[in-house]
Amino acid sequence: MSDPPGPPAERGMFPKEAYLSAEIVRTPLRAAASREIAFDRAFVTALEAELSMAYRLAGYLMADSAEAQDAVQEASVRAWRAWKDLRERDRFHAWFSQILVNVCRTRLRQLSKRRTLDVDDMDLETGDPFRASLARDSVGRALSALSNELRMVVVLRYWGELSLAEIADRLKIPIGTVKSRHHAALKVLRRRIEPVEGVAR
Amino acid sequence: MNRLEPVDDSDVEMDRLVREFARDSRTPPLPDETAALPWTVQRESPSAGPFSLATGWRAVEGLRRAAFSFVRLGATLAVAGTFLLVVSHTRTGGAGSDYIITPQITARPSGVIAAPDAPKVYVVKANGVVDDVMADYVSGAVRRAEVDGASAVIIQLDTLGGSESSMLRIDAALHSKIPTIVWVGPSGAKAASAGTFITLSANLAYMATSTNIGAASPVAAGGGDIAATYGQTEADKVMNDAIATIRGIAQERHPDAVAWAVSTVEHAQSYTAQEAISAKAVNAIAGSIDEVLAQADGLTVTTTSGQVVVNTKGATTINVSEDVIQSFLHTLDDPNIAFILLVMGVLFVAVEFFHPTLLMGLLGAISLALSFYGSGSLPLNVLGVFLVVLGIGMLILETTIPSHGLLTVGGIAVFVVGGVAYYGSPGPYLPTVAVAWPIILVMTTAAAAYGLLLVGTLMRMRHQPVPVGAGLVGIDKVVGLVGEVRADLSPVGTVYVGRESWSARSRDGSEIERDAKVRIVGQEGLTLIVEKMA
Repeated sequence: MSDPPGPPAERGMFPKEAYLSAEIVRTPLRAAASREIAFDRAFVTALEAELSMAYRLAGYLMADSAEAQDAVQEASVRAWRAWKDLRERDRFHAWFSQILVNVCRTRLRQLSKRRTLDVDDMDLETGDPFRASLARDSVGRALSALSNELRMVVVLRYWGELSLAEIADRLKIPIGTVKSRHHAALKVLRRRIEPVEGVAR
Repeated sequence: MNRLEPVDDSDVEMDRLVREFARDSRTPPLPDETAALPWTVQRESPSAGPFSLATGWRAVEGLRRAAFSFVRLGATLAVAGTFLLVVSHTRTGGAGSDYIITPQITARPSGVIAAPDAPKVYVVKANGVVDDVMADYVSGAVRRAEVDGASAVIIQLDTLGGSESSMLRIDAALHSKIPTIVWVGPSGAKAASAGTFITLSANLAYMATSTNIGAASPVAAGGGDIAATYGQTEADKVMNDAIATIRGIAQERHPDAVAWAVSTVEHAQSYTAQEAISAKAVNAIAGSIDEVLAQADGLTVTTTSGQVVVNTKGATTINVSEDVIQSFLHTLDDPNIAFILLVMGVLFVAVEFFHPTLLMGLLGAISLALSFYGSGSLPLNVLGVFLVVLGIGMLILETTIPSHGLLTVGGIAVFVVGGVAYYGSPGPYLPTVAVAWPIILVMTTAAAAYGLLLVGTLMRMRHQPVPVGAGLVGIDKVVGLVGEVRADLSPVGTVYVGRESWSARSRDGSEIERDAKVRIVGQEGLTLIVEKMA
């Protein structure tokens, strides 16, 4: 995992404080930090390591950088609140991505009530990096047109580089469902791409 | 989709394509200029986890608001209640109240032409529940008859019963300077519960054929229902008081009638007119007022001014009726109306609570006050009232707590049970009444529909996500909308659109003054490009 570029360290108590800029998280973070610095640093250090990958996953899940930032922040807030109840600190990575996926799923559901993610509707002029990335060829366009359920599996599989078992764990669904969704997703993608690129059977 | 289906070649191909696509995807760096980001997001999903400062503050804020609502509601109720108390009190009790009554004196359309010096007899129709209104106007009419020099007053009685205190007031009024006559009529009328006491109180009593006197309806000996509600000791006390009262009243009428009278209370017995006459509790059968006048004439009765010979032969009858306010207040005693008013009151108050407008609260408070005023002379069952309110509460909660319809079904069930048990069973005075089934059904439907539709709508309005921060970022969200200029665009100013203020400039660089309506035609970074609307 590459070091995530972030704000300069002198800007806040913690390098990544910028990502937790909402008052609701900053206040308890600071309050707690003044008493239990070790505890807090552990959380911040653990979270720091996740942010880049989390942003990438959320970005491709939501196909929107602003939504992705919100999702990462919300996941951070929730993680912080549940942090004291987390027994196995070494499982932070899996735990945090579970929270993130949950947040994204909820947000996608809310978003889908308001708009559909369709590459044709995407306006590249807004310059959203994720949209731009997805819109660069037919595979990306086909990906953005997948249903939320299928796209989650695909994004976790290929961007998150998770095994099917890990995906099942993150999404809290049976592995059989993951397999069938994965398969269905590939099938849909193929059907969409074939007329364009003539992928051989 | 068959999960066991083997991965075929095209899947492998697709798998490779997507994998490559993902690998080549540029992951944009996390933005580092937080100041420029539109993500000072305070929004949280309502299900946001365990306790925190934010949820703590929300709870405090919620409590504060709830407390405020309660205080406000309480104040509203108090105002309405006081108003009602004042109104009802000026009409009942008090020394002058007997004269508030203005008898609407109407000559009876009778073929008999009365002699100029013919005696006058006042006729008072006393129908419905025995309550303060009835007590008011019966005593008022009797007083009026005394003042006007009437030769007698006839109470035409048809009641299932009512409150003890009102009955006692009527009893006192019937001990008048002039002869008082109770006529239970016309056919089919009843002088039940408190009505029995009233009938026996008068100097003379007549009943039409097919009328009844005694308990409102046969119940278990010993008034089992009072025992169930208040305990045996209290039931015995109420029963003994009632027996003592009727014993005294019956004694004045005829010593032989005492045992009979006691049995109407003690064993909740109901008797026909004939049986009452045999027991010497009632003088005779009389089919009409005219027959009463004919039969009563010449009898000697004891009034407060001594022995009087009743002179009613060929008397002119003068009907005394309730005035408008009295008949309105008397209508409230209807068991169905009292029930409907309670349900409506609770529903109004619920709306006031969720969506304060004061008007609804006031309506609710008045409905509730009227309902309780009305059921003052009815055997209101506290448990039934509680169940009705609880049922409505459950129906309303359904809109805020997801229960998959459980609360609705439960609420309806509780409401119906409450409606059925709304009136308990009576003591010796109270009428046996129940809310009519069709009314229960209609009110249940109304309460359910109301709870689900109206309060549901209000709650949805409240829970509607307010698009803030990032929710609105994106050209697709505001472009095409119409906004309002909040700071002159000269050329850059502020436009309020979609519940947010945006920096904006006009498309052609022209100035647009404050308050003008503009259409958003584009966006440049976080600055909107707008066009003034014609």
